[in-house]
Amino acid sequence: MVERTFELPDLGEGIAEGELVSWLVAEGESVVEDQVIAEVETDKALVEIPSPQEGTIARLHYDEGEIVPVDAVFVTFDVAGEEGEEVTDVADGEVADESSEPTETAETADTVAAETPGVESDEAATGEDDVESAGPADDAPVPSGRVFAAPSTRSLARELGVDLAAVDGSGPGGRVTDADVRAHADGTSAEAASAAVVTGSAAATADGTESAATVAPADAGAVDIQEGGAASTSGPAAGAPASTPTADRDRTLGMPATRRLADELGVDLDAVPASEEREGEPFVTPEDVRQFAAGGSADTAAESSTAPAETTEAGASTVSVGGEDGGAGETAPEVSAGRKSSGAGTGADVEARSGERVPYRGVRRTIGEQMAQSKYTAPHVSHHDEFDATELVELRKELAAVADDEGVKLTYLPLVVKAVTAALQEYPYLNSSLDEENEEIVLHDEYNVGIAVSTDAGLMVPVIKNADEKGLKQLAEEIQDLAERARNRKIKPEEMQGGTFTITNIGVIGGEFSSPIINHPEAAIFAMGPIKERPWVVDSEVVARETMRFSMSVDHRLVDGADAARFSNRVKELLVEPSRLLLE
Amino acid sequence: MVMGDIATATDLLVIGAGPGGYVAAIRGAQKGLDTTLVEKGAFGGACLNRGCIPSKAFIHGADVAHDAANAEDIGIHADPAVDMSRMQEWKSGVVDQLTGGVEKLCKANGVSLLEGTASFEDEHTARIAHGGEGQGMETVEFEHAVVATGSRPIQIPGFDFADDPVLSSEDLLAMDSLPDRLVVVGAGYIGMELSTMLAKLGTDVTVVEMLDDVLPGYEDDVQRTIRSRAEDLGIEFNFGEGATGWEDTGDGVVVSTETEDGETAEYLGDAVLVAVGRQPVTDTLELESIGLEPNENGFLATDDRARTDVENVFAVGDVAGEPMLAHKASAEGIVAAEVAAGEPAALDQQAIPAAVFTDPEIATVGMTREEAENDGFDPVVGEMPLRASGRALSMGESEGFVRIVADEESGIVLGGQLVGPNASELVAEVALAVEMSATLEDVAGTVHTHPTLAEAVMEAAENAQGQAIHTLNR
Ligand SMILES: Cc1cc2nc3c(=O)[nH]c(=O)nc-3n(C[C@H](O)[C@H](O)[C@H](O)COP(=O)(O)OP(=O)(O)OC[C@H]3O[C@@H](n4cnc5c(N)ncnc54)[C@H](O)[C@@H]3O)c2cc1C
Repeated sequence: MVERTFELPDLGEGIAEGELVSWLVAEGESVVEDQVIAEVETDKALVEIPSPQEGTIARLHYDEGEIVPVDAVFVTFDVAGEEGEEVTDVADGEVADESSEPTETAETADTVAAETPGVESDEAATGEDDVESAGPADDAPVPSGRVFAAPSTRSLARELGVDLAAVDGSGPGGRVTDADVRAHADGTSAEAASAAVVTGSAAATADGTESAATVAPADAGAVDIQEGGAASTSGPAAGAPASTPTADRDRTLGMPATRRLADELGVDLDAVPASEEREGEPFVTPEDVRQFAAGGSADTAAESSTAPAETTEAGASTVSVGGEDGGAGETAPEVSAGRKSSGAGTGADVEARSGERVPYRGVRRTIGEQMAQSKYTAPHVSHHDEFDATELVELRKELAAVADDEGVKLTYLPLVVKAVTAALQEYPYLNSSLDEENEEIVLHDEYNVGIAVSTDAGLMVPVIKNADEKGLKQLAEEIQDLAERARNRKIKPEEMQGGTFTITNIGVIGGEFSSPIINHPEAAIFAMGPIKERPWVVDSEVVARETMRFSMSVDHRLVDGADAARFSNRVKELLVEPSRLLLE
Repeated sequence: MVMGDIATATDLLVIGAGPGGYVAAIRGAQKGLDTTLVEKGAFGGACLNRGCIPSKAFIHGADVAHDAANAEDIGIHADPAVDMSRMQEWKSGVVDQLTGGVEKLCKANGVSLLEGTASFEDEHTARIAHGGEGQGMETVEFEHAVVATGSRPIQIPGFDFADDPVLSSEDLLAMDSLPDRLVVVGAGYIGMELSTMLAKLGTDVTVVEMLDDVLPGYEDDVQRTIRSRAEDLGIEFNFGEGATGWEDTGDGVVVSTETEDGETAEYLGDAVLVAVGRQPVTDTLELESIGLEPNENGFLATDDRARTDVENVFAVGDVAGEPMLAHKASAEGIVAAEVAAGEPAALDQQAIPAAVFTDPEIATVGMTREEAENDGFDPVVGEMPLRASGRALSMGESEGFVRIVADEESGIVLGGQLVGPNASELVAEVALAVEMSATLEDVAGTVHTHPTLAEAVMEAAENAQGQAIHTLNR
C-alpha cells in the first residue's frame, strides 16, 4: 500500500477555495474511482468532488465547515499496488542525510567545507508533523517548495495552520505577507477577492430590503415561485457612469485588506486612481478606494470593462428574498457595516460590536458583493404599477387543471415569463448589457430569464435559457426543476449563468412593492407582487378585483424611465388579456 | 534502578552543551520547561573550547603579527616577535570567559546543569555517569530529550591522534609552541584556516589534498582567490594525493602520499595535522535502548521539527547532519526546544550561511547561480569587485568580490558569495535579504554607510539590475 494525496481540484474560474460542506466518506472507507467523496460550496454553487481513484481513505485533512483552498491537500488515499511510487506528503528528513560521507572524504577534504556553500536548509522542510497540532495545521505549515516569505510570516503561517505554498503572495516579487497569510486563514484569499471583481461573477441583488435577504427560512420564503407568490429579486447592472475619472490599469498594487475592501464596495482596484507608488507601480490605499466608491460609481467602469463580456455568461446570480422577516437580523449588521465604511467611516465601530458573529462567506458573501457591485455600478430607476389580473387568474386556473392532469404544476410565473419575453422582443434595451470596455451596448439575441429562488444558503438565480422559445408547460417544468435543485444545492454553476433579465417573486412572503436590485450586468429586473382582491375602478365604480402589483428596476445608463414605462405597459397589456399570450 | 541512584524528573533533558545543546536548554527554560543540561566535557562544546572560538582567536593573533610584518607599503617596518604561550593564555582567557558565560546564562535561565555522560535507558529515562571515581550514576526521567552530542575529528588509517606527531585541530589549537614545518592533510575549511594562520606565524606549511583544489565545493573563482593568496603566504599545495602514512625519521616526520595512479610522494614536517572532516558522535548514548540508529552517514535523521524517529527525542547540531556549523546547531536547538514546548516552530530557514576565515575570508549564503538554475530559477547575478571599493583599497586590500544572485523575474535575492576582508560579517546582510525574500531593489534602495565594504553589497544588487554606479554593468 502506498499513500497518495489528493488536492482539492479546480472549482471553476476565479475560485480559490471552497467551504467543505460535508464528507460523504469516512477514514478507512474504500472508494471507487469517481465516487463522490465530498461536497464543497464555492461562492457560486455546491460542487461534488469525485474520487480520482480507487483506494482506501487514509486521512481526511479538513473538517466539515472548514475552508479548503484549491490545490490544498484534501484527502490521502491508501492505494494498493503502487509500490515504490512517490509519496507526496511524507517527510523524509532529507537534510539530515544529505551530508557527504565521512568515510569517502576521509582521506581528502574536510567534509564541512565541501558541503557548506549554499546549503539550503529548506530542502529539509518537507514533512508531516504531528503531535500537538491537529487538523490542517498538521499538513500545512512547512512548505516543501521554496516559498518567498519572511521568517515572521512563516512563523505566523505555522501558527495559523496555513500552508504557505497555497498562499498567493501580494508583496514585492510575489512575496507572501502577513496579511496574505491572515486573509488565507480567514478563508478569503486576497487573490480570490480580486478575481471575483475581474470576472464580475454574477450574482445577486436584492431589493431594498436586501439586508433581510439572507438565509431566509427556506420554507417561509422559499418561495414558491410556483405559487405566484413572491419574493426577491436580483439583478445585475452593468457598467458605470463615466463621470468620475477612472484609472483603468492592468496591474495595481494594494494590500490584501484594500483588495477586500474594494471588493466589498464593488470597486475594481485597477480603476481606482492611486495616491501612492510602490515598486514603480501604482499603489492604492483603502482611502483611495473609499473615496472612489463614494465619489461616483466610476469605480465600476474598469470592472465592467472586463465584466460584461464575461459576466453575461458567467453570471451565476443569486438573489435575496425581499421579505422583511427572513433571516434579516443576522446579516443585516454586516451589510450595513459594509455600507458604512463605503461612505466615510472605517467600520471600526462594527468591529468592536458585541453579538453573535457569523462568517461572511460563500453564497452570502457573493450575494453581498454582487449587490454592492450592482448598486454602485448601475444607476437604478424604479418603476411600479398595478393591473387587473382577473383574466390572468381565470386563465391560470383553467390551464392549471389541464397541466395537473399531466403532472405539471402551473403557477403564474410561466405566464409572467411569457409576457416578459414577448415585451423584451419589442424593447431590446431591456434585454441588454453594457460592454464598457468597448463602449458598446450589447443587445442580447437570447432571452434567458433568471428566476430568483430562496434557498437555505441564500438566494440563487437559476436561468431559463431561451425562455422565449418555450411553451408554458415546458417553462413550468423547468422552473420547478431548477428551483428544486437550487434548494437542494444540486444546481450546477452553469445553470445560473448567462441570464439576460431576471424575474423575482416577492409576493410569496408579503409586501406590495419593492425596489429590486438589478442582477449585474443585466439591464432590468421585474419583481412580481402578490395577486389579491383590491379595490379597482371599473366604469367609474369601485369594485373588488384581483390585481397584481409589480416593481421594476432598470439600469438608467441603458434604459430611460419612459422606455421602462412603455415596456411595463406592454407586459401589463399581455397579462391583463392573457389570451394574447397564446399568440406569442 | 541501581541502588543508591538518585532519580530526578525533568521536562526537557539536553545532552551536550555545545552551541546546539546549550541554546536548546536556555530556550526550553525560557518556554517554561523544567530543563536539565548534561555535559561530559566542557560547557560550550567543540565550538567554544576547541573549534570556532580558539581558531578565530589564533587567526586574529596571526593577522596582527602578519599585517605588522608586511606593512612596508604603507611605511611601517616591523618584525614582531610572537610569544606562542602568551597567545595561548590569551586565547584561553577568551574561551574561559565565554564558557563561563554559557554556564551563567544557563543557570540564570533556570537550567539545571549536570556534569557526566548521558546514555539512554528507555524512551523516558537516561542514566548519567559522573566522571571521576566514586562519582556514581544518576537517573533522569524526561518528557523530551535533545541529543546535541556534536562531532569529533575523523581519523584516517595510518594516522592515530594518540601518536604525538599526529595532530587533530584540537591538538593544534592547544600547542604552546609552533612547529617549524607542518604537513597538513586536507584543504577543507578547517585545514585551510589553520594552514593560513600557521603560515602567517612563520610555519612552513605543506598541504596534501586528495581533490584538485582547495575548499572543495566552492566556486572556481572563490577557490582561485584563496589558493593564490595562500601560495603567496608560502603554503605549498599537493593536489590529487591521499596521505597513506607517516614515519619519524629523527629529522622529522615524513608523510607519504599516493595518487590515484599509484604514484607516491613524501613530505617532511615536524608534525602532521589531519583535518579531513568531522564525524557525528552517537556512540556515547546507547541509542539502541530507544531503538534509534544513525543513518548510513552516521547522523541521526530528523524531520523538519528536529525530531528523530523517536517522537520525544530530538537531535540538533553536528550529530543531526550537515552543515556542521555552530549557528546551524543553535538554530536547530531553538526549534527543538520550542517544539518540545508545544509551539509550531519548524526548520524552515531559506538558507544557512557559512563563513571560512581564510585570507581573504569567504562567506556564502543561499544559492549560487548554478544552484539557482538547477532549482528552476532564471537567475540574474550582480557583482562588485573589491578593487572598486574605496574602503577595501584604504584597508590595503584589492582582492575579492561581492556577488549576489537573484531570481530575474521577481528580483528576489536567492543567495550571495562574498570573498574579501570581513566577508563573514558582510554575509549577514545578504542572509537577511534571502531570509526576508527581499528584492534586489530592496537591497539597492537601502542606503549604506560610506566608506564601508558593505556598500559592495548594495553595488552588487545594483549591478544585477544593470545600474551599478562604480562598476561597469554587464
Ligand atoms: C577547528 C574548528 C573550527 C571551527 N570553526 C567554526 C566556525 O568558524 N564557524 C562555525 O559555525 N563552526 C565552526 N566549527 C564547527 C563547530 O564547532 C560545530 O559545528 C559546533 O560546535 C557544533 O555544535 P554542537 O552543539 O552540535 O556540538 P558540539 O559543539 O560538538 O558539542 C557537543 C557536546 O556534547 C558533549 N557530549 C557528547 N556526548 C555526550 C554524552 N553522551 N553526554 C554528555 N555530553 C556529551 C560533548 O562533550 C560536547 O561538549 C569549527 C570546528 C572546528 C573543529
